[in-house]
Amino acid sequence: MTVDQISSVADRPGAAADTGRAPAAGGPRISMTTRRHRAFYMFTSPWIIGFLLLTITPMVYALWLSFTTFDGISPHWKYVGLGNYRELLNDPVTWDALGRAGLFAVTSVPLSIAAGLALAVLVNRPLKARGLFRTLLYLPAVVPPVGAGLAFKLLFDPNSGATNGVITFFGFDAIGWLADPYARYVLLMTVLWAAGNVMIISLAGLQDVPRELHEAARIDGASAWRTFRSITVPLLSPVLLFQTVTGMIASVQTIMPLLLAPLGDTSGITTVPQSNYLYMMHVFAQYFALGRYGYASALLWVLFVLILIATGLIFKFTSGVVFYNVDPEAKK
Amino acid sequence: MTATTATTATPAPTATGLPRRSPSADVRVRIRVKRLVLYTVLVSVTGLFLGPFGWLVLSGLKTQGELAASPVHWLPEVFQWHNFADAFTQIDFLGYARNSLIIALLYATLVTVSSAWVGYGFARLDAPGKKTLFGILLASMMLPQMVTLLPTYLIFAKLGMVDTYWPWVLWGLSAAPYLVFLFRQFFAGLPRELEEAAIVDGAGYAQIFWRIFLPQSWPVLSASFIIAFTWTWGDYIAPQLLLSTDRTTLAVAVMTTYVNEGGTPVPELQAAASVMYVVPILLIFLVAQRGFVAGMSTSGLK
Repeated sequence: MTVDQISSVADRPGAAADTGRAPAAGGPRISMTTRRHRAFYMFTSPWIIGFLLLTITPMVYALWLSFTTFDGISPHWKYVGLGNYRELLNDPVTWDALGRAGLFAVTSVPLSIAAGLALAVLVNRPLKARGLFRTLLYLPAVVPPVGAGLAFKLLFDPNSGATNGVITFFGFDAIGWLADPYARYVLLMTVLWAAGNVMIISLAGLQDVPRELHEAARIDGASAWRTFRSITVPLLSPVLLFQTVTGMIASVQTIMPLLLAPLGDTSGITTVPQSNYLYMMHVFAQYFALGRYGYASALLWVLFVLILIATGLIFKFTSGVVFYNVDPEAKK
Repeated sequence: MTATTATTATPAPTATGLPRRSPSADVRVRIRVKRLVLYTVLVSVTGLFLGPFGWLVLSGLKTQGELAASPVHWLPEVFQWHNFADAFTQIDFLGYARNSLIIALLYATLVTVSSAWVGYGFARLDAPGKKTLFGILLASMMLPQMVTLLPTYLIFAKLGMVDTYWPWVLWGLSAAPYLVFLFRQFFAGLPRELEEAAIVDGAGYAQIFWRIFLPQSWPVLSASFIIAFTWTWGDYIAPQLLLSTDRTTLAVAVMTTYVNEGGTPVPELQAAASVMYVVPILLIFLVAQRGFVAGMSTSGLK
């Protein structure tokens, strides 16, 4: 999915249409090229303006706020330079929340990808009612977060949940799933429930793997696992890389801990168990529960920079591993 | 596929060792066992994936006592169908559903048209700086939205746009990178002759877009609309931040408003309500997925 590959396709129609200038007589005054250039900016301007106003402006505003003590109410806010950043670095709560978010990212993303890939391989076999299985396995990924959160809250209810029902049926003690330290596992399972997302995208990639490769491997006596490791995974690697990056970005932003917490006050942040108090929850608490906009903005900017670094590192360390042969546009 | 191997292994078709004709009974048994294991795994995994939603539906059919009881009541003593009706009256369910619908339709319509418009520009036109802009567009898909959403809330609050639907209008008008990309891919694949004749006839690019390109793109338009609608219907955090209790969406209402006067939650009504909140999205997906999945599956299958 390099920019060059994609835009080379785009250049085709334009480049060819570039040949003729407007005829001198009876034609438009300005040249065709100028017309097309103007039209390009006319067409892309909604996005350009929107991006500047609704993305860049808020981010710059947050950057400015991060140097202040602004709380939205008090008129006596002041510029504190890097004060918020200094406080953030010395706040053990921030570090703990960041550590939990990191742990959640490095567990939930690989597990989701592995689960999605396993499902994809499973339903890519010639099966009866294959379409039905695919649909049913993908369906949970369509369920909105509020529905997913509530379903898992009821499923893992310590008293009346089905999970403890099964556990006690086999003679074990019931587990307080929604409290510390188990809440993190419920969070993980709730996220894994949407593994169909990875499945559907991997399936599209799998179907572009040339059949001959699998045939050849089988004739050479390669085991199923060997075929999977040496053919399927390398050919799917661009898709998997894309999933890793977007999955990581999504995981640090997840609000699922909020949706899994018991119904409390309006912000809900106070009822999130410690083990699900991820970095984003910390931001929310500072923003809304405490109204510390300046400090919370500093937290957001730190997160943004960390995501940039993580994305850069992922691309760097996979540049030799990811194999670009499959049509990059196959991932829908 | 067997045909290809057979032609390469010229002398004997069975030389590859593949069971082609009347395999031995032993092999047949092994294949059958293998298939049995495969389907058992598949059915159990599918059951596991449907379990949570099934449990949500069951919970919506229980009494409050059954939902609090320990040990678990697997099935309700009597199916409490009235929970679904009560969920309507406990809160202004239809009012919130209408809010969700307005916002989702508003945003999905606007963002689909604006993304198609921008996508056309990136697909069929060019100008200095296009490559850079396209790079920014792709990179912006990876921007963490939460980082912009919280300061956006503060800005909208300053502009007096909190508790209005204006944020969704503005978001809709400014196109979504992912959908722009979708349209761009589609438009870039259309033949060049489409606009050439129109250009010779002196038609403007806007005319070409509305009259020639847009009518061609129904599959992408509907895909984009459904994707955008589902996003908005499912979104919890933006309405939670930007809208007051009366004007908010069903997602927020289902999550936060099913409590008694004393503040104690009413889980059975909340479960029933969330089923009614989720099912429309599932139905839309089931109706629309035929084209969606088929489109992706056809590429490698015969």
